[in-house]
This record gives sequence, structure tokens and C-alpha cells, in this order.
Amino acid sequence: MAEANTAVSEQNVPFAGAGTAETVQLMVTVNGVDRIFDAEPRTTLAEALRGTLGLTGTKIACDRGSCCACTVLRDGLPVCSCMMLAIEANGHSITTIEGLAAPTALHPVQTAFIEHDALQCGFCTPGLVMSCAALLEHNANPDQEAILDAISGHFCRCGTYPHVMTATLAAAAKMRGDDNG
Amino acid sequence: MRNFTWGQAQTVMDAAAAASVTVADAMLSPPNTNGQAGASIVKAGGIDLLDLLKEKLLTADRITSLKELPGLDVITRTEDGGLRIGAAVTLANLARSPLVLRHYPALANATAHAASPQIRNVATLGGNLLQRPRCWYFRAAEYRCLRKGGGHCFAIHGENQYHAIFDNQLCAIVHPSTAATVLVALGAIVECADAMGAARRVRLEDFLVPPDEDVHRENSLRAQEILTAIELPALNPGTRMVHLKQGETDSFDWPLADVAIVFDLDAERRCKRAAVILGAAAPVPHRAKAAEAILLGRIIDEEAAKDAAHAALADATPLHKNGYKLPLFETLIRRAILRAAADLHA
Amino acid sequence: MAESEASRTATFAVGLASTGLDEVERQIPRDEPPPLPPNAELAVIGKSVPRQDAFAKVTGAALFTVDINLPGMLHGRILRSPLPHARLRALDLAAAARHPGVRAVLPVAQPGDSLRYFGVPVAGVAAVSAQAAEEALALIHAGFEALPFVVDLDKAREPDAPPVHDSTSAPPGNSSGFPAPAGLPLNGNVRGPALMQRGDVARGFAEAEVIVEGAYSTKVQTHCCLEPHAIVADWREDGLTVFMSTQFTAGVRHELAEAFGLPLARVRVIAGAIGGGFGSKSSLGNYGRIAVGLSRAAKAPVRIVLERQEEQMDAGNRPATWQSLRLGARKDGTLSAISLLSYGTAGVTLGAGVGGIAAALYTCPNFESAQYDVFINAAPGCAMRGPGNTPGAFGLEQAIDELAGRLALDPLALRDRIDPSPVRREERRIGAARIGWQRRHAPGAESGPVKRGLGVAQSLWPANVQTTAACEVRIMRNGSVEVLSSVQDIGTGTGTVMAQTVAEVLGLRAQDITVRIGDTDFPPGPPSYGSRATASITPPARVAAWRVLQTLFQEAAPFLGVAPEALIAHGGRILVANNPGRFMLFGDATARLHTGKISAAATRSDDYGGFRRRMPDAALALQDLGGVQFAAVAVDTETGIIRVERVVAVQDCGRPLNPKQIESQVHGGVLMGLSYALFEERLLDQHTGRMVNPDLEQYKLARPREVPDIEVVVLEEYRGQSATDAYGIAEPANIATAPAIANAVYNAIGVRLCALPMTPAAVLAALGKIPRRGELP
Ligand SMILES: Cc1cc2nc3c(=O)[nH]c(=O)nc-3n(C[C@H](O)[C@H](O)[C@H](O)COP(=O)(O)OP(=O)(O)OC[C@H]3O[C@@H](n4cnc5c(N)ncnc54)[C@H](O)[C@@H]3O)c2cc1C
Ligand code: SF4
Repeated sequence: MAEANTAVSEQNVPFAGAGTAETVQLMVTVNGVDRIFDAEPRTTLAEALRGTLGLTGTKIACDRGSCCACTVLRDGLPVCSCMMLAIEANGHSITTIEGLAAPTALHPVQTAFIEHDALQCGFCTPGLVMSCAALLEHNANPDQEAILDAISGHFCRCGTYPHVMTATLAAAAKMRGDDNG
Repeated sequence: MRNFTWGQAQTVMDAAAAASVTVADAMLSPPNTNGQAGASIVKAGGIDLLDLLKEKLLTADRITSLKELPGLDVITRTEDGGLRIGAAVTLANLARSPLVLRHYPALANATAHAASPQIRNVATLGGNLLQRPRCWYFRAAEYRCLRKGGGHCFAIHGENQYHAIFDNQLCAIVHPSTAATVLVALGAIVECADAMGAARRVRLEDFLVPPDEDVHRENSLRAQEILTAIELPALNPGTRMVHLKQGETDSFDWPLADVAIVFDLDAERRCKRAAVILGAAAPVPHRAKAAEAILLGRIIDEEAAKDAAHAALADATPLHKNGYKLPLFETLIRRAILRAAADLHA
Repeated sequence: MAESEASRTATFAVGLASTGLDEVERQIPRDEPPPLPPNAELAVIGKSVPRQDAFAKVTGAALFTVDINLPGMLHGRILRSPLPHARLRALDLAAAARHPGVRAVLPVAQPGDSLRYFGVPVAGVAAVSAQAAEEALALIHAGFEALPFVVDLDKAREPDAPPVHDSTSAPPGNSSGFPAPAGLPLNGNVRGPALMQRGDVARGFAEAEVIVEGAYSTKVQTHCCLEPHAIVADWREDGLTVFMSTQFTAGVRHELAEAFGLPLARVRVIAGAIGGGFGSKSSLGNYGRIAVGLSRAAKAPVRIVLERQEEQMDAGNRPATWQSLRLGARKDGTLSAISLLSYGTAGVTLGAGVGGIAAALYTCPNFESAQYDVFINAAPGCAMRGPGNTPGAFGLEQAIDELAGRLALDPLALRDRIDPSPVRREERRIGAARIGWQRRHAPGAESGPVKRGLGVAQSLWPANVQTTAACEVRIMRNGSVEVLSSVQDIGTGTGTVMAQTVAEVLGLRAQDITVRIGDTDFPPGPPSYGSRATASITPPARVAAWRVLQTLFQEAAPFLGVAPEALIAHGGRILVANNPGRFMLFGDATARLHTGKISAAATRSDDYGGFRRRMPDAALALQDLGGVQFAAVAVDTETGIIRVERVVAVQDCGRPLNPKQIESQVHGGVLMGLSYALFEERLLDQHTGRMVNPDLEQYKLARPREVPDIEVVVLEEYRGQSATDAYGIAEPANIATAPAIANAVYNAIGVRLCALPMTPAAVLAALGKIPRRGELP
């Protein structure tokens, strides 16, 4: 690598992005708390969550909607936060991985992921947990097909899918109160 | 992505006025040049738009959301018994709509298997029909290909395994919308409205533009115009329809080939009316006229299905890497016809 | 070897737990613990305890490098060459440097330099926001002169192909032979051959009663780690701290010290949670150097996170290969000769061989191989899960299947004859029963459009250990226990098996052990590649725990009124071995410590019984780790779609430490192999040299619906070679999958697919169903 490098002197110019560079004020209910913050219109929801709000549990892996690692719930529905502008969350409710557990206990899907080793490197895990939790929210008794459909957009290079399936079935059973789950 | 200003249209007229230029026209000049300056664009789910912006294929000064427009996100029955689907209905809502599931199951199937649940929760039917092609040369800023106002097509002699096998002499894209395959087969009408409030209605099949008509756009949407609804004509009792999609993977993939079949049978299972539409085959959903002609008047059996499937591919002009689509389509067409004939569901 | 002051004799149980254990005596160092009994007698090891980092990972609390946000941190971006081969004519960074928010610019290439692949870094910028950095990239004025290029393996071999390298730019190879031996001739773009030879191959073929020949090819696969390559470099007057998503913190530390002329002590590398590596995060990388250079220039921390497109284009990949194999055998199957010729390409670098599996898996007295690297104008390849042997097995295991067919022998029976490993024999027996091998039919025998088939293939992997791997165990007065090493956990569960190992020694539960890893402030750990982390770090973890326990015994013994040697640790207690009623709680014992903490360290000692071969900082411990995999497929002969319905993977990895984690690893290996077999291919446009599918959308991969029913069986094998006798699993689990699927496809349709990936286009072509232009079936 070339050794020559050029430090740029401090210019004392406050940063302003090119173009119109305007920000807008947003009010988003994030994990049950109303958060008011400024964002440029071009900021994606994933960037706002991870950057401005410091909620780094939501991961960006492809940034194009093709891996679902960035899945969060908007008004309860799983969406790719990388393919949605933060501005579109304005006035809506967003649930991230940080807000899934109850104050005193993990969400059953989280517990089941731990028990069934449904994670390896863990980078796709928050997104998968969100999708599976969202599924169980409106389908208490999912079969294999329902789970496959819910996670069909996810990509996990470590190959956790089989354990994700067992974990989600187990979590569903637990949430229904079946003891044999 | 360059920054832009944001707006939310409250009326259809406002929305149409906000579309100062079509995305197709804006993309004819290289991004970040004067050609794209001042572009004011409308956005529905934004799945396609964000992709274009992130890849720096498009820059916009202003983006106006259509999501607040009243009435654009509902599905209603029309007076004549057809269906009117607002342009902003999401693919997810379309796929689970009882009306669609009951009367147009093939459409439900096509939308239920597009992209992923996460995308379907956001993507709209209007946006799906208007999304730009997925040709990988088109999607990379490095290639100023014919469709983007450049001089030639990189795919015809390049990597073209996912490209068109029909009508591929100029530009070999396949139309990206899976829903369009079924909608064309159903004879769908699109409704557009302009900034003065005037509406125009045109058959989707005519709305979509093949390369020899204009290689720079996939449809005839105009500036200062938005798509408001898609209307499906009423069905005859006994109409059968099937949509089959084959991707390389089943999880989440674009079709290598997809086929929509709609036909009416008389009491002797004789075909009175047939539509055979191929997706992922041509720059617009491809009507296999020869196949339709063969089916007409025939009793639908194994033999008829085979003949139709064979005829459908007779005038295909595969490129050097997509010849496999011929046997693949032949199989899907044959299977779709037989499944439709076997399907007792009206 | 006799006992000495340094060593003593110990008796180890060896063999397969399932078929009965034997005993062997070995000399072990006196300062190491006695042999670890088989798993059945253990409390924590061999149990599926949850991952130590699972809670953090399911709650989003785990911090990956991409999540690190230091005060004043800048965002770095890289300008890359837009041509597959170019000479840099001009580079002017002034306008970029003036852009608001930009804090540093860094030329990476100099005018006059050759840029040998599309996407090679040219310059870097660091700015206060990612957007400002991106905008600055557009302001860099770089002039490129296009040079002739070649991106196709076959075309690059032609005598008049444009040369990718000259003699000065060509990578030199390595004395260790990895990724390619040093000193081989370069002829045009073709470098080699690397030769291997034993016996008399000509005579072997002369004696052969049957000869089979085949050519097999594999395509470039990209690693597709979920977490992109990422680094946060913080250069300060008093030293450099780097947060990095890396498979080898200790190695990167050395690289940094050397590259930037710093004392090792002034360089600290920290890897928190790591979102996968698979071989691609083994070294500092060009982006790493750029981040450090930018941080030095800007006097501020700089984060670089590669975008997915950069990941796909320039973050490593599994090289493409072509190999031709010739096997000679007697009628009974005995091999008389194997001859292998290979050409592969790792782009502008070396390492595209097909490994040593053809030389080592089966008994054959006469063997020769000639392996060539071919340069093309494409991004450098690197190790990827089972490098060499994965493409190697795709050829060898199909050739063996072919041979079985020719000899009218069952593929398993043939292997029983020529495979010397008793472990794999057992694996074949188990796997055959589970997959239902007896229902396997003749190739292509099924009627109907969808044809099913069964196939089998074997894997082989040399188990290396890092001889420098070290670890420390601390016991605090309040009873808490830490295990420390710079070893990182890339998702394999390294931290968990370390905790289990220490807990077993101290008589505690795994969750009682705090695992502090991934930081070069701790004793230097092994890399997480080559399936060597577990084999390298768990023995010193056990030794260190045992040593610190002896200290605790010393201090506790007086209170229990016995000699320290009379004590054992079990169930959270320190107790008198022959009088278990006499005990102290672990916490009560530590509370009596004189010091705030006690600690012991250990470095990986030599394998008991010695290593097979030594390398710098590493050694070959086992030749023949591996497993046998069976696949059941369904092939739709009318669409060309292959679906894998079931895989049975019977694997061995020495002593299994955590069955659930091993199962997870095997799932990952099988799925990566399945994806390699059916879908994955980096596609380079032949006219522009650019990758056309640099994403996770058009780069096709197996996803949830492609997952077969996978049954994992892990043998419990003891060799008495180290303090834990545990070895790796990640790579062996990947090697056999693609050939098992290919053999199953052959069994289904009676036509062999010799090239990867086995797409619908490939299947339909093999079946002769693709009409030529203007001609319909
Ligand atoms: C990973 C991935 C996989 C995919 N797989 C599939 C698949 O298998 N099948 C398939 O069909 N699609 C697939 N898609 C495409 C996806 O379905 C479309 O991008 C989506 O439907 C677009 O809808 P949208 O509402 O988000 O459109 P937007 O991005 O909002 O809009 C698309 C275009 O239409 C314009 N527009 C939108 N609505 C209107 C309107 N009412 N009037 C005028 N102009 C309008 C916008 O200006 C823009 O140019 C996939 C996408 C991704 C990212
Ligand atoms: S197929 Fe069309 S969009 Fe693709 S490169 Fe050719 S002209 Fe461009």
C-alpha cells in the first residue's frame, strides 16, 4: 500500500450534505417509547435505528431487501428496515429486537432460540427472531410451511435454519401452553 | 444516495402533479447530471425506487409518497362483478384478500410467491407493475445500456441466462412483475389519472411497451400521471386459472419462468376461451398466441396440453445462455394447462 | 518413551465409544492433568450447554464490529478500479479532500501502477458521515488506461492470452506450500505444476484391469458472511487499537505491527461478536490497511464497513477449478494408480489447487498429481471452508462412484475395500442404515418425470493445531472464574467449549465461567480457520484450569485437613476424594485465598505421542478427520430442478464437546455444500470483467426452502492425543456434500453432472433437452 497520505486540515466548516440537506423531525414510537428525532429524508429506517437511536441490534447485511437481517416490525408487520425510509415510520410504531422481550423475561422465541441453538454467528439472528415472533403473534399453531413462508426471505450463511424451525415450533407450543412443546 | 425533499400527496391530482417526470425518462440521463436535476418522483412502497436510488441509477430532488392517498389501498367489487384493486394495495394484502383468493386464485398465488413477506408487506401492486427491469446490466451504474439511453445491449452477447427468449433482438429484459403475467391473462385494465383529474383506462397488455415500440420504457405511463387502480373483468362461471412459477430456488427468487393460464371450458371440457401468458420470457408478458389457438375448441387433455406447450415455444429465439428456458417453459405450460383443467375450482 | 522428570505415563481410552474402547499408554507432561475420561463420565463436557453468547445474540445486545461507534469516529470508503485491467494514469484527491466533512484522503495506488482486477482499491476517504464519504468518492479524479484483460480460466491458459502478471508482480507462493508452493515456474498466466508423486504410476496403470477417467469443474463461490468485513481503526500517539471482524486477532496484530512499523505491544486487536468468516476474514486485508492509514492521517478513529457489493467483488472467494482424474483399479476394486491434473484460478493470486484428498483418502500405491494455478483478472481468492479438498472431493468422489459403476460394485462395498479408515467404515455402516441405502436402485432406473436417487461421498481433512495457542484461567476470591485468550468466536461456539472445559475441571457449571476472548490483551489464541480453534485452545484451557485448581487445592487443603493431592473439584465443591462428606463450597474455598485472584496460563503442548508434521507456529495433528455423507435427491427431468430431500451426515471430530453446537456446524457445512452444488456462481461479464451478480439476490443461494431433512450423527472418537482430544468439525462437514449430491443425481437420472453448479440449465443440457437454435424438441 502506498505510504503517502494526506491529512486534511480542519476546516471548521460544519458538515452539510450536498443537495438540499434538509432534515425533518420525526416522531416514531420505538419499542413503546415515543422518540422524536431529526433525519434526512434519504435516511433509511435501519440507518436511523442503528445510528441516531443507537439501536444496533437491527443489522444491515445486504442493504437491498434480499436477506431480511434488518427485519423490524412496523405496526406489527415484519418489514426490511433497509428498504424503508425513516420518514415512513413517522407516526408509526416500530418494534426492534431490543424491544421484543418483556421487561422481566425474554420472548419465548428468544428463549427457544437459545435452547435449540438456533444461532451461530448471530448476525442474522435478530431479524430471524423478529420474523418468527411476528408469525406467532397471529398464528399460534404454525406448521412447517407457515414457518418456512415467514422466514423464506432470510439468509443465514451459518445454516441455522433447521434449528430455527425447531425453535419456532417449540416456542409456539410453549406460548400455547402445551407442555410437551 | 443524494438527499431529497419529501412530500405526501393528499389528492390524486396533487400526486400526479408531483410526478414531474417518469422514472424511465429521468434515468435516460446519467445520474447526478443535469438531465436528472429537478426530478420529482412519486413513490409507493419504495422497494424499487430505493433500489434505483441506492445504486445511483436515479437521483431525485423531490419524492412524494402516495401512501396517504385515500382510497388507493382498497379492493372492491365492481358493478359488473369484476374487481377493482387500488394501486397502493400491498402485495401481502392482495395475496390474502378473500375476494382475490376466491375469484382470482392465480393472482393471489402469483403475489404470494413474489419476493419475501417483508417486501410484500410494503410493496404495492402499482409499484410492482411499474418497477424497472432486473437485468443486471441495467441495474449497475457502470453500464449505460440501450434501455438507459446508451448505445447497445450488454446482455445479448453477455450473461443472459435470466433474459428473454422472445422479442430479444434489441433489449432482452424480461418483465419483472410476476403479477403482470396473471393480470394480462385475466385481461386487466389499468386506470391512470393525470394532474387535471382526467382518467384514462387502458388494457394492461396495451399499457406495457415492448422494445420495438420504445426501448426506453416498459409502459406508457406519462409524466404527471399516476396509476390509480387495476380492474379485473368479471369472470364467466367456470373460468379456470392457474399460475405456475419456477425459480432456481423456492425460497425467495425471481422466476426463471412463470406461466398464467386462464380458460373457459364448456360442459364437454372443450375450451371456449384461452389465455396463455408467459412471464420471465420477454420484455413484456408474452402471449403465446399459437398455444391459445391450439387450445380453442379442443378438449383439454394431455395431448392438447402438449401440443399447446410445443406451439408456444415455436418462435422462441433463445440467446446463448438461456436455451434451457425452452424445455422449462414447455413443461410449465403443459403442467399449468393440465392443472387448470383438473382444477374443479371455478 | 520412558518416564522422565518432565513426563509421566498415563493410560488413555482410545477408539470409538460406540464400538468399544481400547487403552493406550502415553507419556504426558507432569504439569498437565491426567487423561480426561470418556464423555459418559463427565458432567459438562459432551453436554449441549447453551452458547455463552446466546443471550446477547438473541436480544440484539451482542456488539459486532459494525456496531462499534467511538467518539469522533469517521466513516471510510474506498474508491475502486472500474476496469478489470488498467494502468492508473492520474489520481487527484484534492477536490475530495476539500469536500465538507472529509477529514482524510489516502492514495492506495500510485499513477503508473497496474490495477489487475475490477474493484481493486485505488484510494480511500474518511469523513464525518457515510454520506459525505460517499460524496467525496465521486469527487476523486482518477484516470485509467484500459489494458487487455482475461477473466476466463480457459482463455487465460492460451499462449496469446493477455498476461495478468509479470515476473515481479506475480505472488511468490509460500515455503509452507499454502496457498501454493514457492518457486514454481510461470508460463504466461499458468504457474506450476505443483507436483506430488509416489510409486510408479505408469506401472500402476499397466497393471490396472479397469481405468476410469473424468474431468470435473467447480465455479467461484463467495463467502457471503452475514456481517460484512468491518474494521474500526483508532490510531493514537501511544498506539493503535483496532476493532475488527476477524478470524485471527493475534495474526492481524502481527500484520499491523509489521505493516505500520509499530512495536507489537502498541497494537491491540479486538474482535467482539463476529458475523461469520468462513476463511475470508483471516487477515488484515486491503480495507483494513486503508482504515488504519486513514485513521493515522485523520488522527481520529475510522470505521470501514464493506458494502455487500464490495463483499461480493473483493472480499475473498473460493477459487474455480478444473481437474482431470484417472483411476486404475483391479477387478476387485483395489486401486493401482491415480493420476490427477488440475488447473484452477484464484484470480490475481495463488491457491486454486484441489487439495490432497486424491492422494490421501484411499489406499493406492501409485499416485501422481500436477496442479496449476492460472491467473486471471479477477479478485483474489482465499481459503474457504475446506479449501482444496472441497473441489477436490467433487472430482475424486465422483470418480470413485464411476469406478464402482464400472466394476458393478456397490459404492460402499468399493470403499470398504480401498478405504483404510476404520472410523469411516463405521460411518458408512451407520449412514447407509439411516438413509435406507438398500433401496438404492440402478442409475436412472425410475420412470416418471421426477426421478429420485441416493448418493454417498466422503470427506477428509487434515487437523492442524496452532502450537502458539495460549490461554489463562483466573479464579477470583469471590469465586468468579474467567478464561482469557485472544481466540475469537466466529459463530462456531469456541467460547462455549472453553467454558465447558474449564467448568469440567473446576467442578462448576459452564455458565459459571466468564469467557473473555477476542482481545490481543489476553494470551495469544489460535486462528478460527482450518478447523483448528477447538483442537488448539481447549487443551491449554483445560491445562490452565487444572493448574490454577492445584493452587486452589494448596490453599484449601489445610482447612480440610488433608494434603492438596487428596482433593477433587466436583459439583461446585472442593472435596476430599475418598471422603466426599468432607468438602467446602467452591466459593468458600476461594474466599480463603490470600490474594485477590489466582491465575495460571498454558500454551498448547505437543500432541501426546507427537505431531505428524511441524510448520511455523502450527503442526499437523491428524491426517484423516472427516466423515461420510449420504444424499437423497429428486430430479425433475422436465424442469431440470434438483431438490435435495435428505442428507445423512456421519462425522467425526475426536471428542465431541457440545453435541448441539456440532450439529449446528454440520448443518452449516451441509447447507453451504448444498448451495455450492446447486446454486452458487460468481458470474463475471466476459466483456467488461465485472461481476454481474454482486448481491444476495442474483447470486443464488440455498435458503430455508432448500433445506433438506438433515440427520447428523457424530461419532465419539478418542485418540489420547491431547488434554481434551477434541478436533474441529466446520470444514470436514462441508467437503462431502457436493459430491454426495452429484452422485445422487447420477443415481437418479443416469447422467453424470461433472460441473458445478448443477443448475436447471445444466441438468436439461446433460439430458439433451436443450434444443439448438431453431430446433425444438
Ligand atoms: C429482493 C427482491 C425480490 C423481488 N422478487 C420479486 C418477484 O419475485 N416478483 C415480483 O413481481 N417482484 C419482485 N420484487 C420486486 C418488488 O415486488 C417490487 O419492487 C415492488 O413490488 C415495487 O412496489 P413498490 O410499491 O415498492 O414500488 P415503488 O418502488 O414505490 O415504485 C416503483 C415505481 O413505480 C412508480 N410508482 C409506484 N406507484 C405508482 C403509482 N401509483 N402511480 C405512478 N407511479 C407509481 C414509482 O415512481 C417507481 O418508479 C422483488 C424485489 C426485491 C427487492
Ligand atoms: S437487456 Fe435491456 S436492460 Fe439489459 S443490458 Fe440489454 S438493453 Fe440494457
